[in-house]
Amino acid sequence: MEQPFSLTSELKENRLVITTSGYVNNVGGETIAKEFNRHFEKGITSVVINLADSRVVNSIGMSFLLEIIEQLQGVDGKLIFTNLDPAVEKMLTIMGIFQFAGKASDVAGALKLFH
Amino acid sequence: MTNTIAMKMELPKVPDIELVALNGLALLGKHLGIADDKIGEARILVTEAVINALEHGGKEHPKVEVEFTMTSRELTIFVRDYGKGFVPSEVEQPDIKLKIGSRNKRGWGLKLMQSMSDDFRIDSTVEGTKITIKKKLV
Repeated sequence: MEQPFSLTSELKENRLVITTSGYVNNVGGETIAKEFNRHFEKGITSVVINLADSRVVNSIGMSFLLEIIEQLQGVDGKLIFTNLDPAVEKMLTIMGIFQFAGKASDVAGALKLFH
Repeated sequence: MTNTIAMKMELPKVPDIELVALNGLALLGKHLGIADDKIGEARILVTEAVINALEHGGKEHPKVEVEFTMTSRELTIFVRDYGKGFVPSEVEQPDIKLKIGSRNKRGWGLKLMQSMSDDFRIDSTVEGTKITIKKKLV
């Protein structure tokens, strides 16, 4: 059974890295958005979401991430997804999310994309 | 001869109950020797079908029926709810360019199921909706 949702976050060179674990459902998506907002209010506009330990996501959870994209667009910020399960990557592609967000194989690769 | 295995369950409307269906899917896949990465997209199809059915199912019958029929080559997912039904052709296709900036960012389930499946059928009446999805596993 998929683990309950949890996340950790850290700042690396003023870039926010959110690492999730477990099922990204509506609660998970909202929790990610809240964590983002906590840092966004302090001026953070470069964000990495690492989904390495979230192989199961749903579209409601992903819808909350559109709020992050929306807010970052307003300040010329950037969101990059990393460590995507191939099926999750396909899901985000179908939703069109990569028209507005980047992707990288891992967090180190994502951080390089901000330079 | 192809080994076929089937599983049927009735899921009540409780948070994250779709994970029970996913657990069943994983067990069937393991039994048939299907590599976990082959059922990744099936996981998303099952998740979307179940949460969609639970969301639009009727209040009088807050449950959905889920059935898997699986071989090593193909999975058939059947999901039935007892809601008031809908007209598929009247469902607006979500567009991310319109979703960003709008209050309603949801409504992706049908598009995902149609796009990720190999065959997708909806039979919806005022007595409920049946969704049948086929997904190749090879």
